Order: sequence, then structure tokens, then C-alpha cells
Amino acid sequence: MFCLSELEDTVRVPPSDLNLPLEVAIKKALQKLFLDKVLSIGLCVSIYGIKSIEGGFVLPGDGAATYKVVFRIVVFRPFVGEVIAAKFKESDSNGLRLTLGFFEDVYVPAPLIPTPNRCEPDPYNRNQMRWVWKYGDDEFIIDDSCQIKFRVENISYPPVPTERAEDAKPFAPMVVTGTIDDDGLGPVSWWEACAPISDAED
Amino acid sequence: MIVKANAGTVTNFEVLDLLNSKGASKDTTRVMGLKDKVSSSEYKVYDYLMETAASTQTRESVTKFSDKCKDFKLVKAEILNIINLRPSSDVELTPIIEKPDEREIDTEGILELVQQLLPPLPTLESEQEETENAEQEETAV
Repeated sequence: MFCLSELEDTVRVPPSDLNLPLEVAIKKALQKLFLDKVLSIGLCVSIYGIKSIEGGFVLPGDGAATYKVVFRIVVFRPFVGEVIAAKFKESDSNGLRLTLGFFEDVYVPAPLIPTPNRCEPDPYNRNQMRWVWKYGDDEFIIDDSCQIKFRVENISYPPVPTERAEDAKPFAPMVVTGTIDDDGLGPVSWWEACAPISDAED
Repeated sequence: MIVKANAGTVTNFEVLDLLNSKGASKDTTRVMGLKDKVSSSEYKVYDYLMETAASTQTRESVTKFSDKCKDFKLVKAEILNIINLRPSSDVELTPIIEKPDEREIDTEGILELVQQLLPPLPTLESEQEETENAEQEETAV
């Protein structure tokens, strides 16, 4: 789910931060630059540590010191095949949208919902469609009552659109496609009946 | 500039440990604007991780588990996934492992090891506590 990446960047430390210890000041600048941003490697979550700091040049016409910094950063980049627990966010006729709290662009398209299924208007929410999985005579509803596990199928980084339609959704720089069409996946409550083999937890 | 896109994977526990060491916590200081240390996006990750198995794990339990897991012919990513999710039943474990039957993987042995070494998920206890607290508050009002 998370991994480390090593990056190198030229960091400008504003004069107002020069009273801080150098490492603290640089960390502060890095946090501002990278946290909660999507690079081509995934979503930057936290600065792990600074490896080296070089320079400290003052460029002509600028009152700040500029450093060349090599650092490591914690990145959210799930691998294909990984199983992740998420929460329900919304669903429509195209499929489900799940959220991890810090990352909200997890989609489960309709073909990856277990079959046979049907999509019906949600009686509790007029703007929403809900999905129901039929298994034998039983019907299982997908809603926000519990955690939903999905398996990562694909991660894509869509290019930034140059034109934006008026009713378009906010642009998502990183999209995770997941499947819930397998044993053990989907809402956790579906599988609770399948009792643990030796539930002798003390 | 990206020097090394992949400098190693980390478990959920390690990320939580890192955030803890930066001073993230459940108390109210975050509302009081001590934002310099832990950013709000980091807190979102922290809140997510506190609901997962990572919140009850310790460094010893995780290292011990990953050491013992080497006997099971599992891929590194699968071990990582097991630590992050802490499956307690067969049906929770099977989606994590690819073709367990063909590779002759001893799923029951893995589940036993999980049971032994990894502490149970936090959700049930905390929910109980919350409802208890809520009840207490109600009676107090």
C-alpha cells in the first residue's frame, strides 16, 4: 500500500525560516511542496527523512537560500493484486466509488461487481443507485454499513485535461480501479457468516 | 526529480509508527493548530491507519511474523498484505494469495501464525468503548 521513494529537489528556504535548524526548515519547505500531491509515482503521504543537503546558494535577486536536497518520502502506491479495506463513498449505474479517507478515487466499475447483480434506485437516497448481488435466493446489498475490501486491478494517472466540461467531476490525477468479484472481497459483512476456523483469540 | 521510484515497501504499521514519531495523536492538540508538525493530509492517513490492524501491532510482532512467514513460500507482497489486513479466516486470506492450491500453500498454517503473533483488529473494542462512552455521556446529560 505504501512505499518509499527517493527524490531529489532544489528547495528554497525563505528567509523567515532561517532561524530554524536547517533540517527543520527544509522539512517544512518539503512538506509544503510535496504532501498530498500526486507525482508519477503515487500520492505523497509523508516525508520519511532527509538523506543529504548540499549548497545553500543565494541566487541573484532572491533573498532566500537554495539547497539541493535528497530525501525519502512515503508514497501511497498500492500494487496490482493487493487487497485493501476501504469505505463506501457513492454508487451509480457505472459502479461504485470507494474512499480510504486520504484517497478518494477508488472505482469499482460495474463489470467487476459479482454477478448476477442488479442496479436499482436507492430507497434512502434519491440521487443514488445501489447495487445488489444475488447469490442463490439471498440478496446482498452494497451500502455504507461496513468496510468494503477490494483488490487492486489497475492504477492510472490520467493526463491533465486542457479543456473542462462544465458538469465534469473534479479532476483526479490518480485513479485506482478495484474489483470486488471474488471470494472474501466486497463488504466485510458478506463473509462474517463464514466463521474463522479456530477463533480461540485470547 | 525522482532518483529511485521504489526504495522499498513499508507496512501500514511502519507508516503509522512514522506519523506517531512526528507527534500525531488522537487527542485534541490537532484542533488547537499545532499544524506545523503534522499536516492535515497526514492526519487523514493517520485516521485511516488507526482503524486498521496497524494500530495494535508492535515492531516485534511484525518482524517476528515476517520472519516466520518465510517458511510458507509466500511472495513478499503477500506477506505485506497479510500484515496490513490481518486475516482471521480462510475466506479473508484467499483473496490475498494468488492460486494457493496450485502453489501448495499451507493456508491453515498461515492463519494459525497470524492468530499467534499478530494482535486482533482494533475495531470491535473501540466501538464498544465508544458506545459505552456515549451511554455515559447520555446519562451524564
